Amino acid sequence: MSSIPEYMTSKHRECDEFFSEAEAAVADKNWSLALAKWQLFASELTEHLAQEEDTLFPQFEKATGMTAGPTQVMRMEHQQMRALVQSLDNALAAKDKDEYLGLSETLMVMMQQHNMKEEMMLYPMMAQHLSDGDQLIEGFKANAEV
Amino acid sequence: MNMSGLSFNALPPIDLPFRFFLSAPIFIIACAILVLFSGETLWLSRWQPNMLALTHCFTLGFLTMVMMGALLQLLPVIGGIGIAKPRLIATSSHALYCAGVMALMLSFVLAINWLTLAALALLSFGVSIYLGAIIWVLIKKISQGDSINCFRLAITSLVILLLLGILLLANRLGITVPFIKLDKHVTDIHALMGLVGWAGLLIIAVSFQVLPMFHVAPNMPKYIRQYLGVSIFILLVVYVFYAEIALGLIFISHGVFAFSLFYVIKQRKRKVPDTSIKYWQLAAGTLLLLNLLYFLPDSFYSAEQTPIFISLPDKGMLLTSIFIYFYLLSVIQGMLLKILPFLSYTHLQQRCFIDFSAMQFIPHMHEFLNKKHGLALYYMHILSGLSLLAVLFEPSLYVVFAIFLLVEFVWLFVLMVRCMRLYFTVNQKINLFNNP
Repeated sequence: MSSIPEYMTSKHRECDEFFSEAEAAVADKNWSLALAKWQLFASELTEHLAQEEDTLFPQFEKATGMTAGPTQVMRMEHQQMRALVQSLDNALAAKDKDEYLGLSETLMVMMQQHNMKEEMMLYPMMAQHLSDGDQLIEGFKANAEV
Repeated sequence: MNMSGLSFNALPPIDLPFRFFLSAPIFIIACAILVLFSGETLWLSRWQPNMLALTHCFTLGFLTMVMMGALLQLLPVIGGIGIAKPRLIATSSHALYCAGVMALMLSFVLAINWLTLAALALLSFGVSIYLGAIIWVLIKKISQGDSINCFRLAITSLVILLLLGILLLANRLGITVPFIKLDKHVTDIHALMGLVGWAGLLIIAVSFQVLPMFHVAPNMPKYIRQYLGVSIFILLVVYVFYAEIALGLIFISHGVFAFSLFYVIKQRKRKVPDTSIKYWQLAAGTLLLLNLLYFLPDSFYSAEQTPIFISLPDKGMLLTSIFIYFYLLSVIQGMLLKILPFLSYTHLQQRCFIDFSAMQFIPHMHEFLNKKHGLALYYMHILSGLSLLAVLFEPSLYVVFAIFLLVEFVWLFVLMVRCMRLYFTVNQKINLFNNP
Protein backbone atom coordinates (compact mmCIF):
# COMPACT_ATOMS: atom_id res chain seq x y z
CA MET A 1 0.00 0.00 0.00
CA SER A 2 1.53 3.31 -0.98
CA SER A 3 0.96 6.66 0.68
CA ILE A 4 -1.08 8.05 -2.21
CA PRO A 5 -4.47 7.97 -0.41
CA GLU A 6 -3.00 9.38 2.79
CA TYR A 7 -1.06 12.24 1.22
CA MET A 8 -3.62 13.27 -1.39
CA THR A 9 -6.44 13.15 1.18
CA SER A 10 -4.48 15.35 3.57
CA LYS A 11 -4.15 17.86 0.73
CA HIS A 12 -7.92 17.89 0.32
CA ARG A 13 -8.28 18.75 4.01
CA GLU A 14 -5.67 21.51 3.73
CA CYS A 15 -7.57 23.06 0.82
CA ASP A 16 -10.82 22.84 2.81
CA GLU A 17 -9.28 24.78 5.67
CA PHE A 18 -7.98 27.67 3.57
CA PHE A 19 -11.28 27.69 1.75
CA SER A 20 -13.29 27.92 4.99
CA GLU A 21 -11.08 30.68 6.34
CA ALA A 22 -11.51 32.72 3.17
CA GLU A 23 -15.26 32.18 3.25
CA ALA A 24 -15.52 33.20 6.91
CA ALA A 25 -13.54 36.35 6.17
CA VAL A 26 -15.91 37.23 3.30
CA ALA A 27 -18.90 36.65 5.58
CA ASP A 28 -17.29 39.19 7.98
CA LYS A 29 -16.50 41.48 5.03
CA ASN A 30 -12.83 41.34 5.98
CA TRP A 31 -11.72 41.62 2.36
CA SER A 32 -7.96 41.75 2.84
CA LEU A 33 -7.92 38.61 4.99
CA ALA A 34 -10.31 36.96 2.56
CA LEU A 35 -8.00 37.69 -0.36
CA ALA A 36 -4.95 36.34 1.46
CA LYS A 37 -6.69 33.09 2.43
CA TRP A 38 -8.29 32.74 -0.97
CA GLN A 39 -4.93 33.02 -2.69
CA LEU A 40 -3.52 30.32 -0.40
CA PHE A 41 -6.44 28.10 -1.32
CA ALA A 42 -6.15 28.79 -5.04
CA SER A 43 -2.44 27.99 -5.16
CA GLU A 44 -2.88 24.78 -3.12
CA LEU A 45 -5.70 23.74 -5.42
CA THR A 46 -3.73 24.49 -8.58
CA GLU A 47 -0.80 22.43 -7.34
CA HIS A 48 -3.00 19.54 -6.26
CA LEU A 49 -4.85 19.38 -9.57
CA ALA A 50 -1.57 19.52 -11.46
CA GLN A 51 -0.17 16.61 -9.41
CA GLU A 52 -3.19 14.55 -10.37
CA GLU A 53 -3.47 15.56 -14.01
CA ASP A 54 0.22 15.60 -14.88
CA THR A 55 1.45 12.66 -12.83
CA LEU A 56 -1.02 10.41 -11.04
CA PHE A 57 -3.76 10.15 -13.68
CA PRO A 58 -1.41 9.38 -16.59
CA GLN A 59 0.41 6.77 -14.49
CA PHE A 60 -2.87 5.20 -13.48
CA GLU A 61 -4.14 5.19 -17.05
CA LYS A 62 -0.91 3.55 -18.17
CA ALA A 63 -1.05 0.91 -15.45
CA THR A 64 -4.72 -0.01 -15.93
CA GLY A 65 -5.40 0.90 -19.54
CA MET A 66 -8.49 2.79 -18.35
CA THR A 67 -8.24 6.07 -20.21
CA ALA A 68 -11.95 6.77 -20.66
CA GLY A 69 -12.92 5.81 -17.11
CA PRO A 70 -12.79 7.55 -13.75
CA THR A 71 -9.82 9.78 -14.56
CA GLN A 72 -11.65 11.32 -17.49
CA VAL A 73 -14.61 12.24 -15.30
CA MET A 74 -12.21 13.65 -12.70
CA ARG A 75 -10.47 15.79 -15.32
CA MET A 76 -13.79 17.22 -16.47
CA GLU A 77 -14.77 18.03 -12.90
CA HIS A 78 -11.41 19.74 -12.43
CA GLN A 79 -12.21 21.94 -15.41
CA GLN A 80 -15.50 22.92 -13.87
CA MET A 81 -13.91 23.68 -10.53
CA ARG A 82 -11.45 25.96 -12.29
CA ALA A 83 -14.37 27.79 -13.87
CA LEU A 84 -15.97 28.30 -10.45
CA VAL A 85 -12.67 29.47 -9.01
CA GLN A 86 -12.56 32.06 -11.79
CA SER A 87 -16.07 33.26 -10.91
CA LEU A 88 -15.09 33.44 -7.24
CA ASP A 89 -12.01 35.51 -8.18
CA ASN A 90 -14.36 37.97 -9.86
CA ALA A 91 -16.81 38.09 -6.94
CA LEU A 92 -13.92 38.71 -4.56
CA ALA A 93 -12.51 41.49 -6.73
CA ALA A 94 -15.98 43.08 -6.87
CA LYS A 95 -16.39 42.61 -3.08
CA ASP A 96 -19.78 41.06 -3.77
CA LYS A 97 -20.49 39.13 -0.58
CA ASP A 98 -23.76 37.42 -1.57
CA GLU A 99 -22.43 36.36 -4.94
CA TYR A 100 -19.25 35.04 -3.33
CA LEU A 101 -21.12 33.04 -0.69
CA GLY A 102 -23.48 31.54 -3.26
CA LEU A 103 -20.55 30.52 -5.44
CA SER A 104 -18.47 29.27 -2.51
CA GLU A 105 -21.32 27.05 -1.34
CA THR A 106 -21.48 25.66 -4.86
CA LEU A 107 -17.76 25.04 -5.16
CA MET A 108 -17.70 23.50 -1.68
CA VAL A 109 -20.41 20.97 -2.46
CA MET A 110 -18.88 20.19 -5.81
CA MET A 111 -15.39 19.72 -4.38
CA GLN A 112 -16.66 17.54 -1.57
CA GLN A 113 -18.42 15.06 -3.75
CA HIS A 114 -15.48 15.09 -6.11
CA ASN A 115 -13.11 14.43 -3.19
CA MET A 116 -15.31 11.64 -1.95
CA LYS A 117 -15.08 9.81 -5.26
CA GLU A 118 -11.30 10.21 -5.24
CA GLU A 119 -10.81 9.28 -1.61
CA MET A 120 -13.16 6.35 -1.49
CA MET A 121 -12.45 4.88 -4.89
CA LEU A 122 -9.80 6.39 -7.10
CA TYR A 123 -6.94 6.79 -4.60
CA PRO A 124 -7.30 3.27 -3.18
CA MET A 125 -7.35 1.98 -6.76
CA MET A 126 -4.19 3.97 -7.49
CA ALA A 127 -2.49 2.61 -4.39
CA GLN A 128 -3.25 -0.85 -5.66
CA HIS A 129 -2.14 -0.37 -9.25
CA LEU A 130 0.84 2.00 -9.01
CA SER A 131 3.90 0.18 -7.76
CA ASP A 132 5.94 3.37 -7.49
CA GLY A 133 3.27 5.30 -5.58
CA ASP A 134 5.54 6.09 -2.64
CA GLN A 135 8.23 7.55 -4.90
CA LEU A 136 5.68 9.71 -6.68
CA ILE A 137 4.49 11.13 -3.36
CA GLU A 138 8.07 11.69 -2.19
CA GLY A 139 8.58 13.63 -5.41
CA PHE A 140 5.55 15.80 -4.65
CA LYS A 141 6.81 16.49 -1.15
CA ALA A 142 10.30 17.38 -2.41
CA ASN A 143 8.82 19.79 -4.95
CA ALA A 144 6.67 21.41 -2.28
CA GLU A 145 9.75 22.10 -0.17
CA VAL A 146 11.64 23.84 -2.96
CA MET B 1 -11.04 -4.51 -5.76
CA ASN B 2 -13.86 -4.93 -8.19
CA MET B 3 -13.79 -2.10 -10.70
CA SER B 4 -16.36 -3.36 -13.14
CA GLY B 5 -19.58 -1.41 -12.95
CA LEU B 6 -17.82 1.47 -11.28
CA SER B 7 -19.04 4.71 -12.69
CA PHE B 8 -18.15 8.13 -11.43
CA ASN B 9 -21.19 9.91 -12.72
CA ALA B 10 -24.05 7.47 -12.43
CA LEU B 11 -26.60 10.03 -11.32
CA PRO B 12 -30.18 8.96 -11.88
CA PRO B 13 -32.22 11.43 -13.99
CA ILE B 14 -33.21 14.40 -11.82
CA ASP B 15 -36.96 13.92 -12.14
CA LEU B 16 -36.67 10.61 -10.28
CA PRO B 17 -35.49 11.90 -6.89
CA PHE B 18 -37.51 15.06 -7.41
CA ARG B 19 -40.81 13.24 -7.76
CA PHE B 20 -40.24 11.70 -4.33
CA PHE B 21 -39.34 15.11 -2.89
CA LEU B 22 -42.27 16.92 -4.49
CA SER B 23 -44.84 14.39 -3.28
CA ALA B 24 -43.59 14.52 0.34
CA PRO B 25 -44.95 17.97 1.37
CA ILE B 26 -48.26 17.16 -0.32
CA PHE B 27 -48.77 14.34 2.17
CA ILE B 28 -48.18 16.73 5.08
CA ILE B 29 -50.63 19.17 3.55
CA ALA B 30 -53.08 16.24 3.61
CA CYS B 31 -52.14 15.77 7.29
CA ALA B 32 -52.99 19.40 8.02
CA ILE B 33 -56.40 18.95 6.46
CA LEU B 34 -56.91 15.74 8.45
CA VAL B 35 -56.01 17.57 11.68
CA LEU B 36 -58.38 20.38 10.78
CA PHE B 37 -61.33 18.07 10.21
CA SER B 38 -60.66 15.52 12.97
CA GLY B 39 -61.21 17.97 15.82
CA GLU B 40 -60.13 17.59 19.42
CA THR B 41 -60.82 13.86 19.77
CA LEU B 42 -57.88 13.09 17.47
CA TRP B 43 -55.50 13.88 20.32
CA LEU B 44 -57.00 11.54 22.90
CA SER B 45 -54.82 8.53 22.10
CA ARG B 46 -52.37 7.11 19.62
CA TRP B 47 -54.91 4.41 18.78
CA GLN B 48 -57.48 6.83 17.37
CA PRO B 49 -57.92 5.74 13.73
CA ASN B 50 -57.28 9.27 12.51
CA MET B 51 -54.16 9.47 14.68
CA LEU B 52 -52.89 6.26 13.05
CA ALA B 53 -53.57 7.85 9.68
CA LEU B 54 -51.73 10.99 10.79
CA THR B 55 -48.61 9.24 12.12
CA HIS B 56 -48.35 7.04 9.04
CA CYS B 57 -48.81 9.98 6.75
CA PHE B 58 -45.95 11.79 8.50
CA THR B 59 -43.61 8.84 8.63
CA LEU B 60 -44.40 7.16 5.31
CA GLY B 61 -45.75 10.05 3.28
CA PHE B 62 -43.06 12.51 4.25
CA LEU B 63 -40.05 11.00 6.05
CA THR B 64 -39.72 7.74 4.15
CA MET B 65 -40.68 9.43 0.89
CA VAL B 66 -37.83 11.96 1.15
CA MET B 67 -35.40 9.30 2.33
CA MET B 68 -36.25 7.07 -0.63
CA GLY B 69 -35.64 9.96 -3.02
CA ALA B 70 -32.40 10.97 -1.34
CA LEU B 71 -31.02 7.43 -1.39
CA LEU B 72 -31.42 7.24 -5.16
CA GLN B 73 -29.01 10.12 -5.30
CA LEU B 74 -26.73 9.14 -2.44
CA LEU B 75 -25.97 5.60 -3.52
CA PRO B 76 -24.00 6.44 -6.65
CA VAL B 77 -21.89 8.89 -4.64
CA ILE B 78 -21.13 6.71 -1.61
CA GLY B 79 -21.45 3.28 -3.20
CA GLY B 80 -19.92 4.03 -6.58
CA ILE B 81 -22.84 2.55 -8.47
CA GLY B 82 -26.48 3.47 -8.84
CA ILE B 83 -29.49 1.20 -9.00
CA ALA B 84 -30.09 -0.72 -12.20
CA LYS B 85 -32.93 0.53 -14.44
CA PRO B 86 -33.45 3.63 -12.27
CA ARG B 87 -36.38 4.99 -14.27
CA LEU B 88 -38.37 1.77 -14.14
CA ILE B 89 -37.62 1.14 -10.46
CA ALA B 90 -38.22 4.71 -9.28
CA THR B 91 -41.34 5.28 -11.34
CA SER B 92 -43.03 2.04 -10.41
CA SER B 93 -42.06 2.06 -6.72
CA HIS B 94 -43.00 5.73 -6.36
CA ALA B 95 -46.42 5.30 -7.96
CA LEU B 96 -47.24 2.15 -5.97
CA TYR B 97 -45.92 3.67 -2.78
CA CYS B 98 -47.91 6.92 -3.09
CA ALA B 99 -51.07 4.99 -3.83
CA GLY B 100 -50.27 2.66 -0.92
CA VAL B 101 -49.83 5.49 1.60
CA MET B 102 -53.09 7.08 0.46
CA ALA B 103 -54.91 3.75 0.72
CA LEU B 104 -53.43 3.18 4.17
CA MET B 105 -54.56 6.59 5.43
CA LEU B 106 -58.03 6.13 4.04
CA SER B 107 -58.24 2.61 5.41
CA PHE B 108 -57.51 3.93 8.92
CA VAL B 109 -59.98 6.80 8.60
CA LEU B 110 -62.79 4.92 6.87
CA ALA B 111 -62.10 1.37 8.18
CA ILE B 112 -63.00 -0.28 4.89
CA ASN B 113 -61.58 -3.75 4.32
CA TRP B 114 -60.82 -3.50 0.64
CA LEU B 115 -58.81 -0.31 1.30
CA THR B 116 -56.75 -2.14 3.90
CA LEU B 117 -56.16 -4.90 1.41
CA ALA B 118 -55.18 -2.35 -1.24
CA ALA B 119 -52.79 -0.62 1.17
CA LEU B 120 -51.27 -3.97 2.07
CA ALA B 121 -50.70 -4.93 -1.56
CA LEU B 122 -49.56 -1.54 -2.84
CA LEU B 123 -47.17 -0.76 0.03
CA SER B 124 -45.56 -4.17 0.21
CA PHE B 125 -45.17 -4.33 -3.56
CA GLY B 126 -43.92 -0.74 -3.92
CA VAL B 127 -41.42 -0.91 -1.06
CA SER B 128 -40.22 -4.36 -2.16
CA ILE B 129 -39.35 -3.14 -5.65
CA TYR B 130 -37.40 -0.27 -4.16
CA LEU B 131 -35.73 -2.41 -1.51
CA GLY B 132 -34.80 -5.06 -4.04
CA ALA B 133 -32.96 -2.50 -6.13
CA ILE B 134 -31.16 -0.97 -3.13
CA ILE B 135 -30.14 -4.34 -1.72
CA TRP B 136 -28.77 -5.29 -5.13
CA VAL B 137 -26.50 -2.22 -4.97
CA LEU B 138 -25.49 -2.93 -1.38
CA ILE B 139 -24.40 -6.42 -2.35
CA LYS B 140 -22.39 -5.14 -5.30
CA LYS B 141 -21.15 -2.07 -3.45
CA ILE B 142 -17.59 -1.09 -3.91
CA SER B 143 -16.64 1.28 -1.15
CA GLN B 144 -16.46 0.48 2.54
CA GLY B 145 -17.10 2.51 5.62
CA ASP B 146 -18.96 3.02 8.84
CA SER B 147 -21.72 4.86 7.01
CA ILE B 148 -22.37 1.90 4.75
CA ASN B 149 -22.61 -0.41 7.75
CA CYS B 150 -25.07 1.86 9.56
CA PHE B 151 -26.93 2.18 6.34
CA ARG B 152 -27.30 -1.60 6.03
CA LEU B 153 -28.77 -1.74 9.53
CA ALA B 154 -31.26 0.99 8.58
CA ILE B 155 -32.34 -1.03 5.55
CA THR B 156 -32.62 -4.17 7.70
CA SER B 157 -34.87 -2.24 10.09
CA LEU B 158 -37.00 -1.14 7.17
CA VAL B 159 -37.43 -4.77 6.12
CA ILE B 160 -38.45 -5.79 9.67
CA LEU B 161 -40.83 -2.86 10.08
CA LEU B 162 -42.40 -3.59 6.72
CA LEU B 163 -42.94 -7.26 7.63
CA LEU B 164 -44.47 -6.33 10.99
CA GLY B 165 -46.63 -3.72 9.27
CA ILE B 166 -47.87 -6.34 6.82
CA LEU B 167 -48.72 -8.69 9.72
CA LEU B 168 -50.55 -5.94 11.59
CA LEU B 169 -52.55 -4.90 8.54
CA ALA B 170 -53.36 -8.51 7.71
CA ASN B 171 -54.57 -8.88 11.28
CA ARG B 172 -57.05 -6.07 10.69
CA LEU B 173 -58.40 -8.13 7.83
CA GLY B 174 -58.82 -11.09 10.13
CA ILE B 175 -55.79 -12.99 8.85
CA THR B 176 -53.76 -14.22 11.81
CA VAL B 177 -50.42 -15.94 11.98
CA PRO B 178 -49.62 -18.71 14.43
CA PHE B 179 -46.78 -18.17 16.97
CA ILE B 180 -47.07 -14.38 16.95
CA LYS B 181 -49.52 -12.63 19.20
CA LEU B 182 -50.21 -9.26 17.62
CA ASP B 183 -50.59 -7.07 20.64
CA LYS B 184 -49.53 -3.58 21.69
CA HIS B 185 -45.95 -4.77 22.15
CA VAL B 186 -45.69 -5.82 18.50
CA THR B 187 -47.05 -2.43 17.47
CA ASP B 188 -44.43 -0.77 19.65
CA ILE B 189 -41.68 -2.84 18.02
CA HIS B 190 -43.05 -1.87 14.61
CA ALA B 191 -43.05 1.82 15.56
CA LEU B 192 -39.56 1.74 17.10
CA MET B 193 -38.12 -0.14 14.11
CA GLY B 194 -39.47 2.64 11.94
CA LEU B 195 -38.58 5.69 14.00
CA VAL B 196 -35.32 4.57 15.61
CA GLY B 197 -34.17 1.80 13.25
CA TRP B 198 -35.02 2.94 9.76
CA ALA B 199 -35.21 6.75 10.10
CA GLY B 200 -32.87 7.13 13.09
CA LEU B 201 -30.04 4.90 11.86
CA LEU B 202 -30.19 6.42 8.41
CA ILE B 203 -29.81 9.89 9.93
CA ILE B 204 -26.85 8.69 12.00
CA ALA B 205 -25.25 7.19 8.87
CA VAL B 206 -25.82 10.40 6.94
CA SER B 207 -24.42 12.56 9.75
CA PHE B 208 -21.10 10.68 9.60
CA GLN B 209 -20.73 11.76 5.97
CA VAL B 210 -22.44 15.07 5.71
CA LEU B 211 -21.06 17.04 8.65
CA PRO B 212 -17.38 16.52 7.84
CA MET B 213 -18.07 17.00 4.15
CA PHE B 214 -20.17 20.13 3.93
CA HIS B 215 -19.05 21.92 7.06
CA VAL B 216 -15.37 20.96 7.17
CA ALA B 217 -15.86 19.37 10.56
CA PRO B 218 -13.78 16.59 12.14
CA ASN B 219 -15.04 13.04 11.87
CA MET B 220 -17.28 11.74 14.63
CA PRO B 221 -15.21 9.95 17.30
CA LYS B 222 -14.13 6.54 16.03
CA TYR B 223 -16.00 4.49 18.63
CA ILE B 224 -19.21 6.40 17.83
CA ARG B 225 -18.83 5.66 14.13
CA GLN B 226 -18.07 2.01 14.76
CA TYR B 227 -20.42 1.13 17.58
CA LEU B 228 -23.30 3.58 17.85
CA GLY B 229 -25.36 2.27 14.94
CA VAL B 230 -24.86 -1.39 15.76
CA SER B 231 -25.54 -0.78 19.49
CA ILE B 232 -28.83 0.91 18.73
CA PHE B 233 -29.80 -1.90 16.40
CA ILE B 234 -28.96 -4.53 19.03
CA LEU B 235 -31.00 -2.55 21.58
CA LEU B 236 -33.95 -2.63 19.19
CA VAL B 237 -33.67 -6.41 19.14
CA VAL B 238 -33.29 -6.55 22.93
CA TYR B 239 -36.42 -4.39 23.17
CA VAL B 240 -38.45 -7.36 21.97
CA PHE B 241 -37.61 -9.19 25.20
CA TYR B 242 -36.70 -6.53 27.75
CA ALA B 243 -38.61 -3.45 26.66
CA GLU B 244 -38.02 -1.20 29.66
CA ILE B 245 -34.23 -1.57 29.89
CA ALA B 246 -33.71 -1.42 26.13
CA LEU B 247 -35.81 1.72 25.74
CA GLY B 248 -33.86 3.54 28.44
CA LEU B 249 -30.59 2.60 26.77
CA ILE B 250 -31.93 3.67 23.36
CA PHE B 251 -32.62 7.12 24.78
CA ILE B 252 -29.16 7.26 26.36
CA SER B 253 -27.52 6.20 23.05
CA HIS B 254 -29.28 9.08 21.35
CA GLY B 255 -28.06 11.37 24.10
CA VAL B 256 -24.52 10.24 23.32
CA PHE B 257 -25.19 10.90 19.64
CA ALA B 258 -26.45 14.39 20.53
CA PHE B 259 -23.22 15.20 22.39
CA SER B 260 -21.16 13.94 19.43
CA LEU B 261 -23.21 16.13 17.12
CA PHE B 262 -22.64 19.19 19.28
CA TYR B 263 -18.94 18.39 19.51
CA VAL B 264 -18.48 17.94 15.76
CA ILE B 265 -20.55 21.03 14.95
CA LYS B 266 -18.59 23.14 17.41
CA GLN B 267 -15.28 21.94 15.95
CA ARG B 268 -16.27 22.65 12.36
CA LYS B 269 -13.99 24.93 10.41
CA ARG B 270 -16.65 26.26 8.07
CA LYS B 271 -18.48 28.78 10.22
CA VAL B 272 -20.42 30.68 7.60
CA PRO B 273 -24.08 30.97 8.75
CA ASP B 274 -25.98 27.92 7.56
CA THR B 275 -29.57 26.86 8.16
CA SER B 276 -28.74 23.15 7.85
CA ILE B 277 -26.43 23.52 10.84
CA LYS B 278 -29.25 25.19 12.77
CA TYR B 279 -31.43 22.18 11.99
CA TRP B 280 -28.73 19.78 13.21
CA GLN B 281 -28.36 21.78 16.42
CA LEU B 282 -32.11 21.77 16.94
CA ALA B 283 -32.11 18.01 16.38
CA ALA B 284 -29.28 17.41 18.86
CA GLY B 285 -30.92 19.65 21.49
CA THR B 286 -34.14 17.71 21.00
CA LEU B 287 -32.42 14.41 21.75
CA LEU B 288 -31.11 15.80 25.03
CA LEU B 289 -34.53 17.17 25.96
CA LEU B 290 -36.03 13.75 25.20
CA ASN B 291 -33.61 12.14 27.63
CA LEU B 292 -34.67 14.56 30.31
CA LEU B 293 -38.37 13.95 29.65
CA TYR B 294 -37.93 10.18 29.49
CA PHE B 295 -36.09 9.89 32.78
CA LEU B 296 -38.38 12.21 34.71
CA PRO B 297 -40.24 10.13 37.31
CA ASP B 298 -43.62 8.86 36.17
CA SER B 299 -45.34 10.78 38.94
CA PHE B 300 -44.44 13.91 36.97
CA TYR B 301 -46.83 12.78 34.25
CA SER B 302 -49.75 11.97 36.53
CA ALA B 303 -52.26 14.75 36.60
CA GLU B 304 -52.77 14.97 40.39
CA GLN B 305 -49.14 15.51 41.21
CA THR B 306 -48.14 17.60 38.26
CA PRO B 307 -46.08 20.52 39.45
CA ILE B 308 -47.18 22.90 36.74
CA PHE B 309 -50.93 22.84 37.38
CA ILE B 310 -51.91 21.73 33.89
CA SER B 311 -52.73 18.25 32.79
CA LEU B 312 -49.76 16.66 31.05
CA PRO B 313 -50.20 14.65 27.88
CA ASP B 314 -49.58 10.95 27.62
CA LYS B 315 -45.84 10.42 28.00
CA GLY B 316 -45.48 8.11 25.01
CA MET B 317 -47.35 10.46 22.73
CA LEU B 318 -45.37 13.47 23.95
CA LEU B 319 -41.99 11.80 23.45
CA THR B 320 -42.91 10.32 20.07
CA SER B 321 -44.26 13.63 18.78
CA ILE B 322 -41.11 15.46 19.84
CA PHE B 323 -38.90 12.77 18.33
CA ILE B 324 -40.69 12.86 15.00
CA TYR B 325 -41.25 16.58 14.73
CA PHE B 326 -38.17 18.14 16.28
CA TYR B 327 -35.64 15.42 15.55
CA LEU B 328 -36.48 13.43 12.41
CA LEU B 329 -38.30 16.17 10.52
CA SER B 330 -35.68 18.76 11.44
CA VAL B 331 -32.78 16.74 10.09
CA ILE B 332 -34.70 15.83 6.94
CA GLN B 333 -35.61 19.46 6.25
CA GLY B 334 -32.04 20.56 6.91
CA MET B 335 -30.85 17.97 4.41
CA LEU B 336 -33.44 19.01 1.82
CA LEU B 337 -32.10 22.56 1.96
CA LYS B 338 -28.75 21.17 0.83
CA ILE B 339 -29.96 18.45 -1.51
CA LEU B 340 -32.42 20.47 -3.61
CA PRO B 341 -29.99 23.11 -4.92
CA PHE B 342 -27.15 20.62 -5.04
CA LEU B 343 -29.05 18.16 -7.21
CA SER B 344 -30.18 20.88 -9.57
CA TYR B 345 -26.68 22.24 -9.86
CA THR B 346 -24.98 18.87 -10.31
CA HIS B 347 -27.30 17.75 -13.06
CA LEU B 348 -26.84 20.95 -15.02
CA GLN B 349 -23.12 20.83 -14.44
CA GLN B 350 -22.93 17.34 -15.91
CA ARG B 351 -24.67 18.58 -19.02
CA CYS B 352 -21.75 20.95 -19.50
CA PHE B 353 -19.24 18.12 -19.81
CA ILE B 354 -20.12 18.17 -23.48
CA ASP B 355 -19.87 21.88 -23.99
CA PHE B 356 -17.92 23.54 -21.28
CA SER B 357 -18.87 27.12 -22.20
CA ALA B 358 -22.50 26.41 -21.27
CA MET B 359 -21.34 26.61 -17.63
CA GLN B 360 -22.00 30.35 -17.83
CA PHE B 361 -25.76 29.72 -17.65
CA ILE B 362 -25.74 27.73 -14.42
CA PRO B 363 -26.89 29.67 -11.34
CA HIS B 364 -25.11 29.12 -8.04
CA MET B 365 -26.60 27.18 -5.12
CA HIS B 366 -28.20 30.16 -3.40
CA GLU B 367 -30.01 31.09 -6.57
CA PHE B 368 -31.66 27.68 -6.61
CA LEU B 369 -32.65 28.04 -2.99
CA ASN B 370 -32.41 31.47 -1.45
CA LYS B 371 -30.74 31.38 1.98
CA LYS B 372 -33.38 33.64 3.54
CA HIS B 373 -36.14 31.38 2.27
CA GLY B 374 -34.44 28.40 3.89
CA LEU B 375 -34.13 30.28 7.15
CA ALA B 376 -37.82 31.20 6.98
CA LEU B 377 -38.64 27.49 6.69
CA TYR B 378 -36.60 26.83 9.82
CA TYR B 379 -38.54 29.38 11.86
CA MET B 380 -41.84 28.08 10.49
CA HIS B 381 -40.78 24.61 11.57
CA ILE B 382 -40.10 25.74 15.13
CA LEU B 383 -43.43 27.56 15.27
CA SER B 384 -45.44 24.63 13.96
CA GLY B 385 -43.53 22.28 16.30
CA LEU B 386 -44.38 24.44 19.30
CA SER B 387 -48.00 24.52 18.20
CA LEU B 388 -47.94 20.71 18.05
CA LEU B 389 -46.77 20.63 21.67
CA ALA B 390 -49.48 23.10 22.58
CA VAL B 391 -52.11 20.80 21.05
CA LEU B 392 -50.83 17.86 23.10
CA PHE B 393 -51.44 19.90 26.25
CA GLU B 394 -54.60 21.59 25.03
CA PRO B 395 -56.32 19.69 22.16
CA SER B 396 -58.71 22.56 21.43
CA LEU B 397 -55.77 24.40 19.85
CA TYR B 398 -55.73 21.96 16.93
CA VAL B 399 -56.74 24.63 14.41
CA VAL B 400 -53.57 26.61 15.18
CA PHE B 401 -51.40 23.55 14.60
CA ALA B 402 -53.21 22.68 11.37
CA ILE B 403 -52.68 26.17 10.01
CA PHE B 404 -48.99 26.35 10.95
CA LEU B 405 -48.46 22.91 9.45
CA LEU B 406 -50.20 23.97 6.26
CA VAL B 407 -48.19 27.18 5.94
CA GLU B 408 -44.85 25.45 6.59
CA PHE B 409 -45.31 22.66 4.08
CA VAL B 410 -46.90 24.78 1.40
CA TRP B 411 -43.80 26.95 1.75
CA LEU B 412 -41.52 23.91 1.45
CA PHE B 413 -43.45 22.85 -1.63
CA VAL B 414 -43.07 26.34 -3.13
CA LEU B 415 -39.31 26.24 -2.51
CA MET B 416 -39.10 22.89 -4.28
CA VAL B 417 -41.14 24.07 -7.25
CA ARG B 418 -39.06 27.26 -7.61
CA CYS B 419 -35.88 25.23 -7.55
CA MET B 420 -37.22 22.81 -10.17
CA ARG B 421 -38.49 25.62 -12.38
CA LEU B 422 -35.12 27.32 -12.39
CA TYR B 423 -33.57 23.97 -13.25
CA PHE B 424 -35.81 23.52 -16.27
CA THR B 425 -35.34 27.10 -17.45
CA VAL B 426 -31.57 26.77 -17.37
CA ASN B 427 -31.73 23.31 -18.89
CA GLN B 428 -33.67 24.79 -21.78
CA LYS B 429 -31.05 27.51 -22.21
CA ILE B 430 -28.31 24.90 -22.39
CA ASN B 431 -30.33 22.98 -24.97
CA LEU B 432 -30.70 26.06 -27.13
CA PHE B 433 -27.03 26.87 -26.71
CA ASN B 434 -25.98 23.37 -27.77
CA ASN B 435 -28.44 23.16 -30.69
CA PRO B 436 -29.04 26.72 -31.85
